[in-house]
Amino acid sequence: MVKKLKLCLIINLLFLPIYAQTSVDEVYSSAEKLFENKNYFNAITEYKRAQFFDNENKYTFDSNYKIGLCYKYGGFYENAIRYFSNASKYCKTIDDDFELKIQMIRVNILRKTTQNAFQLLHQLEKDSSFQNKKDEIYYWKGWAYIFNDDWKNAELNFAKSSFGKELYLLSKKVNNQKLSVTFAKVISYILPGSGQIYAGNYLSGLLSFAWNIIAGYFTINSFLQNRAFDGIIIGELVWLRFYKGNVENAEKYSEQKNLLITNNALKFLQEEYKGLIP
Amino acid sequence: MKYKFLFVLILIFNQLNAQLNNDLYNLENRIKFANFLYQEKDYIRAIDEFKFILNQTESDTLRFRFANSFLKLNRYEEASENFKTLFLGSLSNEAKLFFFKSNFLKNDFNFFKKLTENKNYIPEKYENEISRLNSISYFLDNEKLPPQETLLKPFDDSLQTKLYFFYQMKKNPPTKNPLQAAAFSALIPGAGKIYTGEISDGIISFIATSLSLYLSINNFQHNHQTRGWIFAGLTSFFYGGNVYGSYVSAKKYNENSKLKIQNEIKNFFRESNYFLPQIEF
Repeated sequence: MVKKLKLCLIINLLFLPIYAQTSVDEVYSSAEKLFENKNYFNAITEYKRAQFFDNENKYTFDSNYKIGLCYKYGGFYENAIRYFSNASKYCKTIDDDFELKIQMIRVNILRKTTQNAFQLLHQLEKDSSFQNKKDEIYYWKGWAYIFNDDWKNAELNFAKSSFGKELYLLSKKVNNQKLSVTFAKVISYILPGSGQIYAGNYLSGLLSFAWNIIAGYFTINSFLQNRAFDGIIIGELVWLRFYKGNVENAEKYSEQKNLLITNNALKFLQEEYKGLIP
Repeated sequence: MKYKFLFVLILIFNQLNAQLNNDLYNLENRIKFANFLYQEKDYIRAIDEFKFILNQTESDTLRFRFANSFLKLNRYEEASENFKTLFLGSLSNEAKLFFFKSNFLKNDFNFFKKLTENKNYIPEKYENEISRLNSISYFLDNEKLPPQETLLKPFDDSLQTKLYFFYQMKKNPPTKNPLQAAAFSALIPGAGKIYTGEISDGIISFIATSLSLYLSINNFQHNHQTRGWIFAGLTSFFYGGNVYGSYVSAKKYNENSKLKIQNEIKNFFRESNYFLPQIEF
């Protein structure tokens, strides 16, 4: 009889970890519910609780991943990266690994550390295990270029991705609309005011042209009448100022125009684009 | 029959016991989890857990951690209130020290100085630390400095030279007299600016004023009255602007000088953690 009693006790003790794990399961599932309800602050607490008591490491990958996502949605990008990195140590499949790296890239795009995003994308591109994921890699590369304000390369990368068609068209449109700042400056050097007209500021361009003609006339006229000192003073203080201002304005207005174009595109991406965003 | 009943009883008892022990929301597990969050520096969540625990039970260590979490999050008022509740407990000395630290970091130094006058609050073990904080508060605010010996007394000998330098710099910061700067510029255009350290501005002012003066005289000499008056006006404008600019420049120099010293002092004490000991429970 005593033997049976001992056996009973041993069986009970063996079952103890199962009860414990059940509690972890419950905490994890409550964290999942909070996550679904977008209550990210409390979700993090519960994921951390589940992770802390999860002696079997059953949820280590998932909880780290989800904590990373919560931090990302809350705008705590530094913490998000930290938890995605933690999760990467417990990846079970190659898909998990890929998904994590893509999340890290997306966070880097969001926090505008695009150089880190490019570095990770470059690693993925070189890795032979992800050869069948090229579509996604090019897609996020395109996004990284958008946040780097390099719409030309964004267009090239979206063109290579099968699900980046809409973004390819958008970046192509932006590229076609954007003005060349160098061109605006060069034509302003040749014909004052033309750079501003090229940037769409017609009145400013015409005024600049007129000021330069008048100041130039007075300068040249002074030299022709042997008033060299007046010529130098007017040329230096008036004409050169207008000439320099015309080039500076050409640069400023074309940059402003480009900013307006890119801002409109970004507004579209933020408010109307239905595809995957970082 | 008797044994069978005993088996069932043991089984039920064990299961109940196991379930109670493994309830992750029981007090023991909550304490473990709160401490984990605290160690992980997730103070905002640690506060929530500690708050729940401290509603159920009282523990000086946990209350200290609770208060310290507020301190780490720069929530000085809540930190101070919670450290105050520990004044009569086992961590009284440390709680009093951290109470002073919380109030010091609030940057309301007048209030802090008044607190230090209450001798009941001063922990015997950390009396010197509080005196140091009191001295530092004089270095950091704009009140009149007490005598040097009193202010530097709580600090180690190795720090005396550095702190003496700060004391002198705070008491007599390098200044430039605005009226003197204006007078210099009135005598020689640009000289006032050079005096306040704006050398290139001074040289430009001198050239601009001299050139327009020369042009004015030259035009008058050649009977170009209109141009002469235009350049005379320009000269007066440059001259007046330069005299006023020199006055402003000296004032700016004095403000910058004070600010620079103040920042240097502030950074020195902050980097030294205000000479407070590292205490963790």
